Amino acid sequence: MKNKLKYFYSYIPLIIFFILVLFFARQLILKEDPSELPSVLIDEKFPSIALSELPGYKVFSNKNLINANGPSLVNIWSSWCVPCKIEHEYLMSMSNNIIIYGINYKDNKEDALKVLELNGNPFYAIGADRDGMQSINLGVYGVPETFIIDREGNIRYRHVGPILEYDMEKIILPIINKIKQERL
Amino acid sequence: MITIIKFIFCFFIIGNSVLADANTKVAYELYEELRCLVCQNQSLLESNAPLALDLKKVVMDKIELGQSKGEIKKFLVDRYGEFILLKPKYSMQNILLWLGPILFLFIGFFVTFVFLRKQSMYKAEQLPLTKEEENSLKKILDNNVS
Repeated sequence: MKNKLKYFYSYIPLIIFFILVLFFARQLILKEDPSELPSVLIDEKFPSIALSELPGYKVFSNKNLINANGPSLVNIWSSWCVPCKIEHEYLMSMSNNIIIYGINYKDNKEDALKVLELNGNPFYAIGADRDGMQSINLGVYGVPETFIIDREGNIRYRHVGPILEYDMEKIILPIINKIKQERL
Repeated sequence: MITIIKFIFCFFIIGNSVLADANTKVAYELYEELRCLVCQNQSLLESNAPLALDLKKVVMDKIELGQSKGEIKKFLVDRYGEFILLKPKYSMQNILLWLGPILFLFIGFFVTFVFLRKQSMYKAEQLPLTKEEENSLKKILDNNVS
């Protein structure tokens, strides 16, 4: 009996080693970025924010989200933000099927207009957040960020960083399709 | 008359600056307790990231409006999550985080206790040598001497 227990003790380091391997493997396989924060607003109403106009474009406000027929995206972008340029083409391709609203974050009017003129406008309506104070209500901490909003105006998902092809096909579009199929 | 006005004016200025100093002190205490979400192991106080500057402004504005530390923290936690607090809350969810080190210390004490007791038990179990053993020992010692 005593010998058996001793036998077990000698395996403790090995067991601890395998537990650690499991932890590390999980992180490797899931490829979760630990610096990416979960939004506290998931399944909450989109917070009320007051945005100003970008001349020549419809103004995005909370009203847009309340009377929604289907899911929509809210994308926080800026002309000075380089990753925003990378995701621009994917926003353009999605804008044919989904309504995308833009929040122009801490940008100057002329630069923002120039970007839309040059690269095309994926946004149904745009609201400008000149000093970045309104986006704080959304918990924005890194541009670009994209929120998926359902019919009721609740936030379903938050994507931090640029939407690349993989993100669009594997994450964003499946959630959108799921929302589309609800209560039809 | 003029001196009296000057006097009152002086008090007004001093009073104002004392109030401003108190606000700054509270603000700096808060900056130290809040995490910069861009460079995530720095506090707001240490960070010069644009978002950190914005959040500092939010904190300062709210202090000037007379909000308490708790109210300001709640405002930020509601938007950014508990991660923004550099010092986690004392809540049931965080109980392992706070009590974990103490728990491990006690596990350490327990293991040491068991180990030491076992050793002293072995000592107590020491038996005198049997005759055979004594003889063989003698043999070995004698061989070495010669």
